[in-house]
Amino acid sequence: MSDLLLENQNARKLIKTLGLPIPVPEKLARAKGPYEERPLDDKKVLVCGTGGLQTVLAQILTKAGANPWVVGDTDAVLEPFIGPGEAWARTPHWVQTGDAPEGERIDAIVFDGTGLESPDDLRQVYDFMHPWIRRLNRSGRVVVIGRPAADAKKPARAAARAGLEGFTRSLAKEIGANGTVANSVFVEEGAESRLGPVLRFLLSPRSAFISCQPFHVSKLAKGDEAPDTHVLGGKVALVTGAARGIGEATAELLAAEGAHVVCLDRPADDAPCSKVAQRIGGSVLLVDITDEDAPARIANELKERFGGVDVVVHNAGVTRDKTLGRMKPDAWDMAVDVNLGAVIRITDRLLEDEVLRPGGRIVCLSSVSGIAGNRGQTNYSASKAGIVGFVEALAPRVAKKGITVNAIAPGFIETRLTSAMPVAIREVARRMSAVGQGGKPEDVGQAITFLATPGAVGVTGATVRVCGGALIGA
Amino acid sequence: MARKKSSWGKKQRAVVVTGVRTPFVKAFGKFLELDSIDLADIAVKSLLERTDLPHEEIDSIVWGGVILPSLAPNIAREVALDLRLPASVEGMTCTRACASGLQAVTLAAAAIERGEADVVIAGGSDSTSNAPLNLPQKAVHALAPLAFGKATPGDYLGVLSQMMPITDILPKMPKIAERTTGEVMGESAESMARRNEITRQAQDHFAERSHHRAAAAIASGRFDDEVTAVEASGGWVYADNIVRGDTTLEKLSKLRPVFAKDGTVTAGNASPLTDGAAAVLLMSEEKARALGYKPLAAFRSWAYVGVDPADQLLIGPALAMPKALDRAGMELKDMSVVDMHEAFAAQVLSVTKALASKGFAEMRLGRSQPVGEIDEDNFNIYGGSLSIGHPFGATGARMVTTMANELASTGKETALLGICAAGGLGAAAVLEAVD
Repeated sequence: MSDLLLENQNARKLIKTLGLPIPVPEKLARAKGPYEERPLDDKKVLVCGTGGLQTVLAQILTKAGANPWVVGDTDAVLEPFIGPGEAWARTPHWVQTGDAPEGERIDAIVFDGTGLESPDDLRQVYDFMHPWIRRLNRSGRVVVIGRPAADAKKPARAAARAGLEGFTRSLAKEIGANGTVANSVFVEEGAESRLGPVLRFLLSPRSAFISCQPFHVSKLAKGDEAPDTHVLGGKVALVTGAARGIGEATAELLAAEGAHVVCLDRPADDAPCSKVAQRIGGSVLLVDITDEDAPARIANELKERFGGVDVVVHNAGVTRDKTLGRMKPDAWDMAVDVNLGAVIRITDRLLEDEVLRPGGRIVCLSSVSGIAGNRGQTNYSASKAGIVGFVEALAPRVAKKGITVNAIAPGFIETRLTSAMPVAIREVARRMSAVGQGGKPEDVGQAITFLATPGAVGVTGATVRVCGGALIGA
Repeated sequence: MARKKSSWGKKQRAVVVTGVRTPFVKAFGKFLELDSIDLADIAVKSLLERTDLPHEEIDSIVWGGVILPSLAPNIAREVALDLRLPASVEGMTCTRACASGLQAVTLAAAAIERGEADVVIAGGSDSTSNAPLNLPQKAVHALAPLAFGKATPGDYLGVLSQMMPITDILPKMPKIAERTTGEVMGESAESMARRNEITRQAQDHFAERSHHRAAAAIASGRFDDEVTAVEASGGWVYADNIVRGDTTLEKLSKLRPVFAKDGTVTAGNASPLTDGAAAVLLMSEEKARALGYKPLAAFRSWAYVGVDPADQLLIGPALAMPKALDRAGMELKDMSVVDMHEAFAAQVLSVTKALASKGFAEMRLGRSQPVGEIDEDNFNIYGGSLSIGHPFGATGARMVTTMANELASTGKETALLGICAAGGLGAAAVLEAVD
């Protein structure tokens, strides 16, 4: 079922004209085509804050095509932006702190909070953003950058750092109706060089349905410089459950970045799976992942046909919903085995046999309802929360080989699954996010693709929600 | 017939022997009836007359053009045939947008350097006045049965029915727009002016200087050896007719911006549509001396680059010029003179700004220091495309000729050339004096 408030222009107009108390969600701007040289082409980005990242930010933003507007007490704040501005012809503009010139609008705000020392310093986010927050264009972006609270030596400093996350989450709910999303990024000391790809992603339309999320950028996994475009050129990617929905969207996006995608699904889904593979120039692998010999078969196939694999997306999943009291044992087993057991068995085998190459990427599918808890989904939630624990624990163990392990937790996504929901529940679920609408499979695919890129090396062990800033699930 | 001695595979130095061009005149004016091939004929004929070159010495002609005559796109071969050169004088025509003329010259130099040829005439021409009006594909497809093969009455009816609505089949006005982005070149220049903060005044000032310098060059007779008079239907044309020696900053500043309401690019600080041709004679140094010619200059290096046309379409020279300098093993400060194609004042000033920028050097060129500031006194000393005009394919050959003469006649050592071109292309070359 399509979203009336989003797709039907007459309905949207009618509601606005009559002034009905129904919030009309903003249609989100989404990316078209593969990764581009300048994802922020001609976007006006407000840069503020007093951390030490100005030089790094200047280079990332101007190279990505953004026009920086730099906030500060004097125009000395422009200094780090001059050179990069000349290099990419993106002349920086200075704006006085607390001032927002009449009529000026912006596309994004980047706040550098890496210098916060105490709760008093939190006032900076207010001072810098207060004059500008209502000047954001539709489908705008806010990225708040800080240092990880856990790394702080003083409790007061840790408090200030942690405060940024709460601030960003609340801000995201306030500006979501405009189609704008807000996220925070906590960058480890020394991992600044890994910020680029993360910011290019979070400030671009590729992150249309990601809001309220904290991203941690660490030095943990080994990695070299990463390409900006054709980011998966020469890579082999395995996507399980590739026949439809999120798996299909992901396979398409990975292929568009240059990866050869091996589309895996159950033998029963031969037809749709082959269709996807054919369309994107990929290969087909028909395996029931719960079969006993599945891990060995997958590992062997990948080794023999492609010499290994670089990206593994564990997307295949099932629901077998019943309240615990009514649930049959095989319903429990099925959900937990497909969603978690098979994922672990296959991953272990690919690592043991060294089929997953150094610098590899593992992306698992968790779920917001899984994490938050949902009536009738004890089995599903156990499996999906299990994924969170799995990626957290595995990440440091494979970091030396440059491999990252992450999970994506989709919120309400418009798929075959959700279109079968009762109307009332579906309507509520849609509107319970900061952006007031459901996501699309491609939104999840974009997040998975980002985590699969070499540039995402700073992000590992994380569970990233793609939920438009859903109310539930913190 | 005596067999020519082959130089194939021999490493030899290519030298510029001489160059000549037609006057550059405003499009839809005095050269209206001369198409790109006619203009090329005139330039090459004049070159041959001036040098008394025995025709049998010529190995080939390499020609550059942008708006190629669709029925005979290989202008080079048509020139050889028109001028009744020996049938053995083969010809090829290349196109690299506004760098086509330089492309033809460097192709000739490359062929000589590897011993493929000893004597090559290179150059370029364009006649915007004779740009074909293209029928839309729909009309072409509908008319095809009538144009090719025998048409039945039914075919005629069929064609009529396909021709509606009439607006779909009217010829499209030609415009200099990027195929991929649809952006007209003036809009690209406008956006470069904005992004590089090149003011209207700076552009007009540059244009004024270009006109004054070109006018002074013409008045002093500096171009006399390089320009041949042309007999057109309206009489003889002796000199470039776009130059305005009496223009002033005040006059230029009154012109209205063309491509944006609050823009800065005007007809005064943009190069005009121009008709013209330029030819250059290149030889191996050995051959030139054997035939008794005194070489004017030689190529020390050249470079072609591409940038994203959706970003800064005309910034190419800022990357190509340092690349050519690197290949020559030289620095900007080693150059006695610099000559840059002036598509737009905004584009030239954007490029010079980038060359002077440390940030640009570090992030775009991997150099720790800026390429350098270009000394005004040694930069486009005789004006450029803004004032002299810009027949697309001819400009590169004009620049090579003027700079080669400059080195030969003044004792200057080196010249750096830079050209921007549609498609996000950039071209550059380093010329050196020959003793």
